Amino acid sequence: MSEDHYLDNEEKTVVFIMTSGPSTPQRCATPFYLGSIMASMDVDVHIFFTMEGVRLMEKGVAENLTAMEGGKKIIDFIRDAKRAGVKLHVCQPALPGYKIDDSKDIIDEVDHVARASALADLILQSHNVITF
Amino acid sequence: MECNGCEFRPELYYDDEYQIWVRREDDDTLTVGMTDISQTIAGKILHVRVRRPGTRRPPGKPVATIESGKWAGPIPNFIDCVIVEGNPDVLENPVLLNSDPYNAWIARVEASAGAEAALDTFLTGDEAYKGYCARAKNEEIECHRKIR
Repeated sequence: MSEDHYLDNEEKTVVFIMTSGPSTPQRCATPFYLGSIMASMDVDVHIFFTMEGVRLMEKGVAENLTAMEGGKKIIDFIRDAKRAGVKLHVCQPALPGYKIDDSKDIIDEVDHVARASALADLILQSHNVITF
Repeated sequence: MECNGCEFRPELYYDDEYQIWVRREDDDTLTVGMTDISQTIAGKILHVRVRRPGTRRPPGKPVATIESGKWAGPIPNFIDCVIVEGNPDVLENPVLLNSDPYNAWIARVEASAGAEAALDTFLTGDEAYKGYCARAKNEEIECHRKIR
């Protein structure tokens, strides 16, 4: 049997920087799918939404968005990732440009509304940084 | 037994969300698999990976990971246990989890505090059937076990 069937990776921290948003829906499912896999492999996974990525964390957006026609809603990918243990951070400085008020417009799945310095810390603490 | 087309086996033990089933073996190890509800939600399963035998898994640390076309995530674990083995048939042919979820077990584990204590937290029999049926109906889950 292939060795690939057994998992024995070390625990690591990975941060995904998500800059893609609703204008490129085909780029909006994979980070959550990959994040779910990595979290279920004991990786400490953080997704930090900045630039247009913050719009995925705005109420009413992911609920009505699919990566492919007829596909699963992005909100369901987000919820799968959360259940697997992925942590979601939204870039506070990016919100005003998209007229998003973090006191009322952000979906409940978000763990932290964070400053850019929080992303800097995550990057410096992580074993890998992946951008989408 | 069935509910909404979802197969249920009253002799098995289930977590309170009916994601996994557990069976106690004669040697006191525990066999773990996916419920019919879980395999239906996942869709056609493409890949399964189990933690290496001998690895200790505390509650909350998954026993295995599953990938399907529309879902990826853990096989949740509620037991402090050590992995004994993965099911080689399932590892080679993951779609067995879709077609025969109660025979296609995923992993066998040894509970650190013994099987009896580990199963205390699980549901079985009529109580489990009631909850299983409620979840299938509330979430409108209709199971299909054909290979897709």
